[in-house]
Amino acid sequence: MEAKGIKKNTAIWILAVLVLFVLSIILGIIMRLNQGGAVHLEPGTFYADMTVHGITMIGIWFVAGMAGVNFIMERYVKTSYWANTFALVMTVIGVVMLWVSTLIGDFHAGWTFLYPLPFKIAWSAWATPMFLWALAVLGVGWLVWVLSLMAALLKKYSISQVFAWQHFRNKNPEVETPPFVLISMVSLLGVLTCLIAAVVLLVLLFAEYYSHGTFVNDALLIKNLTYFFGHTIANEMLYLGLAIIYELFPEISGRPKWKTTWYVAIAWNLTLFFVLLAFFHHLYMDFVQPQGLQIVGQLASYLASLPSAGVTVFSVIVAVYRTKIKWSLSNLLFFIGIAGWVIGGVGAVIDATISNNFLLHNTLWVPAHFHSYNAMGNVLFSLGFFHWFSVEYSKRKGQERLSSLKLSFLLLGGIGFLAAFYVAGAESIPRRYSSYPVEFTSAKLLATLGAVFATVYLIAILLFFSSIFKRCLNMVLQRS
Amino acid sequence: MQYALLLLFLVLAAVIALVFIIVYLSSAKSDDELKGMANPLQKRFWFLLILFVCLGIFAFITIPRSPYYLFAKEQPAKVVHVAAGQFFFTMSYKAINPDKPEGEMTIELPVNQLVEFRVTSLDVNHGFAIYSPSKQIVAQTQAMPGYVNVLRWKFKEPGTYTVHCLEYCGMAHQVMQTTFTVK
Repeated sequence: MEAKGIKKNTAIWILAVLVLFVLSIILGIIMRLNQGGAVHLEPGTFYADMTVHGITMIGIWFVAGMAGVNFIMERYVKTSYWANTFALVMTVIGVVMLWVSTLIGDFHAGWTFLYPLPFKIAWSAWATPMFLWALAVLGVGWLVWVLSLMAALLKKYSISQVFAWQHFRNKNPEVETPPFVLISMVSLLGVLTCLIAAVVLLVLLFAEYYSHGTFVNDALLIKNLTYFFGHTIANEMLYLGLAIIYELFPEISGRPKWKTTWYVAIAWNLTLFFVLLAFFHHLYMDFVQPQGLQIVGQLASYLASLPSAGVTVFSVIVAVYRTKIKWSLSNLLFFIGIAGWVIGGVGAVIDATISNNFLLHNTLWVPAHFHSYNAMGNVLFSLGFFHWFSVEYSKRKGQERLSSLKLSFLLLGGIGFLAAFYVAGAESIPRRYSSYPVEFTSAKLLATLGAVFATVYLIAILLFFSSIFKRCLNMVLQRS
Repeated sequence: MQYALLLLFLVLAAVIALVFIIVYLSSAKSDDELKGMANPLQKRFWFLLILFVCLGIFAFITIPRSPYYLFAKEQPAKVVHVAAGQFFFTMSYKAINPDKPEGEMTIELPVNQLVEFRVTSLDVNHGFAIYSPSKQIVAQTQAMPGYVNVLRWKFKEPGTYTVHCLEYCGMAHQVMQTTFTVK
């Protein structure tokens, strides 16, 4: 019953993610249209839209990765249906609270809710506690889910096995740790760490809110905690997607299963460590932060991306180069997604260099690179999984139609939309502006172009949406 | 400088895209015989080593150019105190009283001489980004409540510089700006 339950839950997660994704893209397009002058929103409405767009995108692609990892983990260990369901219920409640606090309560402190802005209330007074409690609800649901998956892995594998330490020295150890298990555990531990930081952050914010100013927080400490949580969860959701690729790419391509080798084991253990220190790059422009941490931030940003990206890219290239592959929509999405992830990573490494950040910080270069590895990376990882899952387990198999059209629209829309961001970043155009001062002469044109290409991207997503949605809905509705 | 970074990014992105396209085409053309890549382990080693060395060199060159070390041993010719608030900048040659922030009507700074900005916030986090007369960022720091960030810079070009807030600070964030003159 539980395995069937996980399958049905996975279909529900996919349906929820797709619906929220389409809505959030529309909110994003509205923002770019407003910046381009084609529509007019009040600044408060724009920033509420921006807040809900950001928090929803982070949330849905995190749970998409988690749902995929949970489903595939059933191949190796028994996972908890109840933890999965609990997370689903808490996510629904949390998302409703977030949308109510922002779109009805007009809360618009941004998805990073950088202290003390949430307490400078320029919206309905109830919206600040509702937003923070929504995060608490999501945090509890996700914490339980993460802990249950970690416990499931640790029931079968010892700590050294689950992190593949036996592969460091021994070429053929008695117990082999599958790459999927290793990368899942590395990602889950990272998620657990940043969720604990989120708990500390929320406790401190609630303490100030409910003490009515008797207790006052330190802005630098809170900023560190905020980005430790925000940056790390955004990174770990990518790694959850990669865990799925390590498992499914060779399988779908008709190639032998990938194995954990000493360098794969070392690379992912290094990533586990360095990714937790990379968030310091968000504080480069806070010159009061200890300088040693700034340098650690630059080096950790390089070192977190180098081993995992290097090993993954090379694994994919070796698997494909001059090798007959059974190409399908899923592994093509994985393949293109890896390229998008790496290209976004290059944009991120450029920005994570302190002397460059001095010129690029909080310009549109920032959304340029994170949209690259999300919209053209992580989203494609998850879409590949969604497509594979919906075809593999649905009774409505049918032939996949319009694959070339879907991919062409996705590439054209994605590249055009991102190019408008990168050029704007190089032109020093600020991010998070509801409208641009006239002296930014190219800003409106670039925003309008971004909206047009984002609409092409949306059409591609809707084409994917229709086929995957029907199959998953069918799975949810069918009697077990 | 920003355009040089854009060019660097575009070149690297094009190389990555080209590699993926070549690899994909090599697979699409492949017949049933599995040829694969010769000596993948050796190539992986070199690939990672080259990446590591490139990033090492990049770090070695860029870290000393971080803003924290700029003009650190020189004495500033002018000190400007900056207090940011929703949604204004107060700038003064004298220290600013946070309870009664008052600044100069106009700020004039010397060209090619060291200027030190002491930047803080009276309420939420703000950005303090200095744009050149041609609307490119030349220098920036953050304005954080309870802290003073010290930014040192030498302006090479005379003219009117604009300061924009670059940390989202609320409803009128997009109009929060001020100007000063460099002569």
